Amino acid sequence: MAVTESVSTIVATRRSTAQQTRAENRTLTKLTIGPSPWVRAGALAALVVLAALWLLPLLWGAVTSFKHEAEAALPASWWPTQGWTLDAYRQVLGNSELLGWMWNSLVVAVLVTALTVLISAMAAFAFSQTLFKGRSLLQFLTVASIMMPGQILIVPLFKQMQAMGLVDTFAGIVLPQVVAPVMVFILKRFFDAIPGELLDAARIDGAGTWRLFWTIVLPLSKSILVAVAIFVFIGAWNNFLWPFIVTTDPQFMTLPVGLSTVKNAYGVQYAQNMASAMIAALPLLVVFMLFQRRIVQGVATTGMGGQ
Amino acid sequence: MTASSTSLSAPVTRLPRRGAGTRSGATPAVRSSLRARDKSGYLFVAPFAVATGLFLLWPTIYGLWMSFTDQSLTATGSSFIGIDNYVEAFSDPQVWQTLLHTVWFTVLSTVPLIIVALLMALLVHTGLPGQWVWRMSFFAPFLLTSAVVSSLASWLFQPEIGLLDVWIAKLGLGPVGWLTDENVAMFSIALVTVWWTVGFNFLLYLAALQGIPQQLYEAATIDGAGGWRRLFSITLPQLKTITGVIVVLQLLASLKVFDQIYLLTAGGPNGSTRPILEYVYDTGFTNYRLGYASAISYVFFALILVFTLVRLLPTKKEA
Amino acid sequence: MQTSHRTSGGMSGSWPRRAPDRYPRRAGTGGAADDVPRMSRRGLLQAALVGAGGIALGGALSGCATPAASGSGRTSVMVWDLFSGGDGALMQKMVGAVAAANSDIAVDSTTLAWGAPYYTKLAMASSGGRPPEAAVMHMSRLAGYAPGGLLEPFDLDALADLGVTQDDFAPAVWEKAQFDGQLYALPLDTHPYIAFNNPEIAGQAGLLDADGKLALAPGADAFLDAGRAMAEVTGETGVSWGYLRDTAGCWRMFWGLYNQNGGGYDLTPGKPAELDEQAAAEVFEFLQAMVDGKVAAKNQDGGAASGRFMSQRTGLMFSGEWDLPMFQGALPDVGATPFPAIFDTPANYADSHSFVLPRQAHADPAKREATYRVLAGLLKEGLTWASAGHIPAYQPVVQTPEYQELTPQRDYAPAAEIAVFDPDAWFTGGGSDFQTRMGDAMTDTLSGEASPQTAVDRMLSEMNRFLSQPSPA
Repeated sequence: MAVTESVSTIVATRRSTAQQTRAENRTLTKLTIGPSPWVRAGALAALVVLAALWLLPLLWGAVTSFKHEAEAALPASWWPTQGWTLDAYRQVLGNSELLGWMWNSLVVAVLVTALTVLISAMAAFAFSQTLFKGRSLLQFLTVASIMMPGQILIVPLFKQMQAMGLVDTFAGIVLPQVVAPVMVFILKRFFDAIPGELLDAARIDGAGTWRLFWTIVLPLSKSILVAVAIFVFIGAWNNFLWPFIVTTDPQFMTLPVGLSTVKNAYGVQYAQNMASAMIAALPLLVVFMLFQRRIVQGVATTGMGGQ
Repeated sequence: MTASSTSLSAPVTRLPRRGAGTRSGATPAVRSSLRARDKSGYLFVAPFAVATGLFLLWPTIYGLWMSFTDQSLTATGSSFIGIDNYVEAFSDPQVWQTLLHTVWFTVLSTVPLIIVALLMALLVHTGLPGQWVWRMSFFAPFLLTSAVVSSLASWLFQPEIGLLDVWIAKLGLGPVGWLTDENVAMFSIALVTVWWTVGFNFLLYLAALQGIPQQLYEAATIDGAGGWRRLFSITLPQLKTITGVIVVLQLLASLKVFDQIYLLTAGGPNGSTRPILEYVYDTGFTNYRLGYASAISYVFFALILVFTLVRLLPTKKEA
Repeated sequence: MQTSHRTSGGMSGSWPRRAPDRYPRRAGTGGAADDVPRMSRRGLLQAALVGAGGIALGGALSGCATPAASGSGRTSVMVWDLFSGGDGALMQKMVGAVAAANSDIAVDSTTLAWGAPYYTKLAMASSGGRPPEAAVMHMSRLAGYAPGGLLEPFDLDALADLGVTQDDFAPAVWEKAQFDGQLYALPLDTHPYIAFNNPEIAGQAGLLDADGKLALAPGADAFLDAGRAMAEVTGETGVSWGYLRDTAGCWRMFWGLYNQNGGGYDLTPGKPAELDEQAAAEVFEFLQAMVDGKVAAKNQDGGAASGRFMSQRTGLMFSGEWDLPMFQGALPDVGATPFPAIFDTPANYADSHSFVLPRQAHADPAKREATYRVLAGLLKEGLTWASAGHIPAYQPVVQTPEYQELTPQRDYAPAAEIAVFDPDAWFTGGGSDFQTRMGDAMTDTLSGEASPQTAVDRMLSEMNRFLSQPSPA
């Protein structure tokens, strides 16, 4: 058993990166679907079809966004007979508050990410490396609150924001999103794994708990912190329901809310709608391009577990 | 970069726990024996505790209290009305209808979200060239916000000039009311949801597949097992755990659906796609009845809680 | 809370749920001491970031976005509207004209999605957010809004100072704008549900009078015959009515015809809803006869219906007069008449757009005064608004020769005199859930899958459901 496990550890570690070498891929192909070129071609064809299907909506939206408005309203055709144009984008960027909403989204996402990562790391550190009365109770409550679906709280939270005067403010959008018991849980397990000797050594050297946190634990946890930060950012950027509830003034709306609430005063403009969608989709797709490996690893890492 | 920091910041591996795994974690590194016993713990946990108290615990209690009142969105005062809201909720056909819609949506979307994700992962895990293309295509939609997804989908489903209707016309079939036909709308929404979120499950499956030791396959090949046999005897059984995880995650996420249905059909046509969360929203904010909306929320919450606990019980027994 | 589509538990719902299984192994010894000096620099950077974040947060917590205008010393006035049709552009033009005439006010308008989402957002804004200084509201919605304290009444003296008095409005419309003895809505227009026609097709079908205007003989049969005649001319269908996905349109059609058929109603909370079921069933019989595939197409939505009318494949289109600009764009000499007399009683479904003052958390006299100026200015721009197809409520505009010259507006202006509004109840009105449910109740009947009586039964049952709910105001 132990041999199998250590062998599989070695194997897994070798293939723990998202990219595999060509040779590994060839081996893999042989192992999974065998050497037959027909099967290979079939599988490749299936992949191409699926990928095409999955890219279709975005591609189609993109094509539409580059058409003239009059042409966009005609029955669908891939190639615009009236030629490509940036008109829709010009209109959208010039007329609407789109850029303002993007800015709001950015501010909100950055604030949510910074605050969530910070307070979650601090709490995780407290649960992991400190002792205080009531620690177990708090831990239990944290785990219990994971089961709490946020959606059912929209009614009382709105009333609460009303009472606190935080409707239509950044604070109102950001603060409820900062509570992330899942992240605390994940970080705590990571912190638990930091070898005790390292921390003991630092303590003996006279480091206080605060210093311990900042100078040892956090730097050692960079990868998980980055992963957490990326996911929190993506979640905050894409979040619709809560910003939708708590903002009524279009000036404060985040991108998803503004896009769906404020309507073009000029009627239904398909090319412009698609241009707005493309602009809105771009930032996170860029984030994905930049952080692809981390994102993919992070999903895999934190999505699986011992339960 | 020192050696230790490099190794400690190495990416974490992703083997599924087999057999001997414990719930609280693997063989833990030895805890620091000098854990602080001073007050610093309180300080560290304080921001999180305050935030949780203010924005999670307090609203939960407040919402519960609201559900016993007739509070309204307008400026009028509210009064305690006991369990009237709950009585109304249980006898309100809309509550059960929208709940049914939610469950129907969950069933409709969960099945393909598992199967398609598995299929994708199996295909990508063959190591065929173009790996990053497949990964990107399948996962990119997941990064879109619901407003963009709904915008793109509405456009595809647009009557007569949308791409789908045009293609169907080319095949000689009549236009389909993707979002306007009661019999079709929920399927369309499920289709959109599958397109949108399958990437997440796909990555989970892919990681799980990558964790299956190669020598299992090697041994099977030596024993003469063909491709399909390997698939059914080795691969699929190995994926049982992760499938369980994915199914549960998927069910819970689907029950809380709101965004795409609200944005695509606003619960229509004829209210046939309205999920229960949208009914809560309509009741509380469109019809001003915050107290009653709160009660419906808590009825729904109770159901989710029951479901979550039911799921947890068997695993508790294992550990 | 974060409620992403992969929400796991808790408020912040980002995806990852499970902890890593494998823990990083620490390779060698040593390094802790080496690390410390470098880490502390990093630690400083992190602390700085946190500090910066804290400052940003502090700024955010103060919660006030400073609108650009206040920086330049102008009072900012925001007006919300729900005009996303052809008239949206005209409202922007009017706002621009008012802005130009009042250089000390920064007036801006925002268009929100029509219907329930608009009114929901307005209510939420008035009840706790940052509501606009003024907003457009359907007059029919006033009964549901005003009692809740979400609106503020108008100061009649301040209006009079700006040249807006009670005498400037039709009595019926002024009455509807009152609540509890005070004026809560400033009427902008009356907008009836009318019939547009293509004079060429109608002419070939022999339906025009000496002046070239559509002249239909009264009665259901006469109308259906006219529809068939136009279908002969076009070779397809004669009448455009897009009812799919347009519950409001269905309601307007029904309520107008029902009132023409002499139908009354009783919607008193505590009693069952009452309709003249016979009259209502007759209305549905007529509608079913109309969407038979010959007179009007069986299954089409608003977009398809408009498309057909504008591409000259039908001769008559039922729509709100607000679509006039769109139709004029495609058919420059499009004709328009009040809703045809199908039944015996003269009636034309209409609603009215009006301006209301959402309740502000902090009363600002300067803003209030600026808002009044803006609204009075907008009323006086009624001529522009009329080119959107609406009938201005502000009579001084209607009486100008310029308005009298507008065709086809003056052809359907008489509709305002026989206007019937939504029934008086807190849950009715433009963009209300009520209209949606009523429309829903009719869809099966209209598509021929259910009998007229089914629609009536469903409508009554929905009405009873609304009545049984406590009025939130």
